Amino acid sequence: MTTANHRSDTPGSAGQHRTPGKLAPQDASEAASRHRRIREAMAAQGLDGLLAFGPGWRRENVRYLTDTALAGSAAFALLPAQGEPSAFSTRWQDTGSIIRHGWITDAHFIDAREPAALADRLREMAPRRLGIAHYELLPAVLMESVSGAVPGAEVVSATALMDGVRLAKSDWEIDRMRRTAEVCAAGWQAFVGALEPGLPEYGIVAAVEEEIKRLGAEDNFMLIASGGDEVRGMTAPSPRSLERGDMVRTELTPQLDGYWLQLCRSAVVGKASDAQRRSFDLFNEAVEAGMAAVRPGVTAHDVAAAENDVFRRHGYGEYCTSQYTRVRGHGHGLHFDETPVIEGNETVLPENAVLIIHPNTYTPIAGYHVLGDPVRVTKEGPEVLISTERRLFESAEGT
Amino acid sequence: MKRGLVVLDPAEISGREWQQRLAVLQRAMAASRIDTALVYGDVSRADDIAYLTNLCVYWNEGILAVPAQGDPVFLTKLSPRVHPWMRQVSTVTDLRSGPSLGKLVADLLGPGNGRTAGIVDADLWPAVLSEEISAGLPGWEVRKLGGLVREQRVTPSPAELVLLRRGAGILAAAAGKAAGEQPDANARIAVIERELRGAGFLDVVARAADAPDGIVTLRVSGQFRTGWLHASRLAGDGNGTSWPDAMRQAIGGAVTAASAGACGERLSEAARPALSVLPPGTAVDVRWVNQADMATSGEYQPYSPDLPMTQGSVAVIGIEARFPDGADAAVAETVLIGTDRAECLTDPMLTAIGTAASGGRAGS
Repeated sequence: MTTANHRSDTPGSAGQHRTPGKLAPQDASEAASRHRRIREAMAAQGLDGLLAFGPGWRRENVRYLTDTALAGSAAFALLPAQGEPSAFSTRWQDTGSIIRHGWITDAHFIDAREPAALADRLREMAPRRLGIAHYELLPAVLMESVSGAVPGAEVVSATALMDGVRLAKSDWEIDRMRRTAEVCAAGWQAFVGALEPGLPEYGIVAAVEEEIKRLGAEDNFMLIASGGDEVRGMTAPSPRSLERGDMVRTELTPQLDGYWLQLCRSAVVGKASDAQRRSFDLFNEAVEAGMAAVRPGVTAHDVAAAENDVFRRHGYGEYCTSQYTRVRGHGHGLHFDETPVIEGNETVLPENAVLIIHPNTYTPIAGYHVLGDPVRVTKEGPEVLISTERRLFESAEGT
Repeated sequence: MKRGLVVLDPAEISGREWQQRLAVLQRAMAASRIDTALVYGDVSRADDIAYLTNLCVYWNEGILAVPAQGDPVFLTKLSPRVHPWMRQVSTVTDLRSGPSLGKLVADLLGPGNGRTAGIVDADLWPAVLSEEISAGLPGWEVRKLGGLVREQRVTPSPAELVLLRRGAGILAAAAGKAAGEQPDANARIAVIERELRGAGFLDVVARAADAPDGIVTLRVSGQFRTGWLHASRLAGDGNGTSWPDAMRQAIGGAVTAASAGACGERLSEAARPALSVLPPGTAVDVRWVNQADMATSGEYQPYSPDLPMTQGSVAVIGIEARFPDGADAAVAETVLIGTDRAECLTDPMLTAIGTAASGGRAGS
């Protein structure tokens, strides 16, 4: 019955463990739609196989095909040009989860150093041109196994292909993102509710994590900074204790059912100063300008330029450069940092793309300021996906 | 993303110890005639870089370039705007950012003139990056190396052990609280997040999964400073079913059997008697993983059944059961491996039981 440091697709645990879940009609339709879209993109690039690789920190493409939360350090989903997809993970529990969820019914445990089931499936498939999503991240030990299994095939990156496929969200996906938005809004409430003089930054993160996990969040991307006008950017939390008058900035990005959604806000411990209010007004104007530019067919550059023009008009244009900031927003979905909203990015935003518009940067007015809302691109313009008010928050404690 | 506390405290790890860690690597490099060692990390597995510098790759990727003599340089895709923070919380002063790690390496190292660069743990590097670096270093011999830094991390120093003990106590208390009366699985995870992050854990990975008979398996991994702790607990009363107690007894047996030189097979044998009450058709895995490999749960390391445990190392011993109905359950503890027994860091009672069973021997 027992094995020692040995994991496998043990026959003894097969049977019901491998009983596929029955997909609801809307899920079956979504899965079929995804397969069709990916295969159209594959055909355009002459691919007869798409292998999505998911390392521990970039599982979005595997999730797109499995709709399953995975824990393995390395996971794959393989979609042939024709036929049924397969999935593979270095965590045996993942294979049961995938099969029970039902989007892929052929799932296997693999040893990262000898992924036999993956190699066998590739050999059987014998693609002439294989695209690998996150090819750039595939460890050498796995690359060797993949390449060795398809010695005659041309192996290319399919990372951009999958980024393109995932850019416009379906109604099914938007529904999920709306639920994430509710969790995100609750997380922000917990954030503001926790603020009080003496609390260390990491204590704020603990309060937020407690709340969003209570509501079912799987994960969270969260940067933070506290202090006055000396603050130049956000990082992981420090032991710094909050002081009265501090502005506390965050980008809060919970993940629920696979989908991330971000909110950018700043809050003051106690009453805001005039400078902090002026800073908010400037950033709010930039958010509004970015939103005004949003409609299907515009580029990420167009949105970024609209935001930056506000800073330029007010004499703060230099603070829109890489010396002070990174991007003016970015796409959202199964990855929280999809196409960047930045001047020079000519990616066209289609209807139903989801992005956050956040002109976060440093200015001498009140230091680094964080403000932004997630929006869906519609023909009528942007639809704000979150209910959190866009204002400079003040904590009840510290007044 | 790692979003817990990152702190560099000389009262915890002295400046001398940080220098020694680097010196050990540099001596190994000298023995292999390596002029510059390159250590890769991404947010999901960057413990080698953290061990050498206390740098936290909280997101994205980076490479630590370690010269045969002198100070290391950190190359990263993260923005230069985080350099001040990184200097504050690490031993590194030279940080360079850019969109291409290959170009950053090429710019740093320049023409080789017959020198040798070593890619540490080359099998685990992104193949494309490794090739890009090799191609971008004219005049350099680029050699693939094994896990030189990981080997150092296998046995914690006394200072690291102090932190691991502290972290284990916090994690055990949190897991115990979460396994108690809670309204649902999400509430259990929420408790763990609050307790561990509130106590300054850098990273928390907590999962709750339904097991048979109303039992919930809680798997809790946490990184305190740079060391990993893990415990898996079974929550719920199980309506009088016997298998949860059997699994608890089994992990007690496995922990009692652990010592320097013990291997997975021995742990499995010790666990087996208690597991005989599990339903027919249940598959069980008994395994151990060094805490140094816990960022990936040991999935990138070859843990064979006859691999012996190392004196002074800290390991996670776990038992995973897969029931015929497809559900699974787990129990696990983090232990310190001594010469003739193990000390259970996440459940001191198991150590006491083990000591009593072995006639009161103390040897760790």
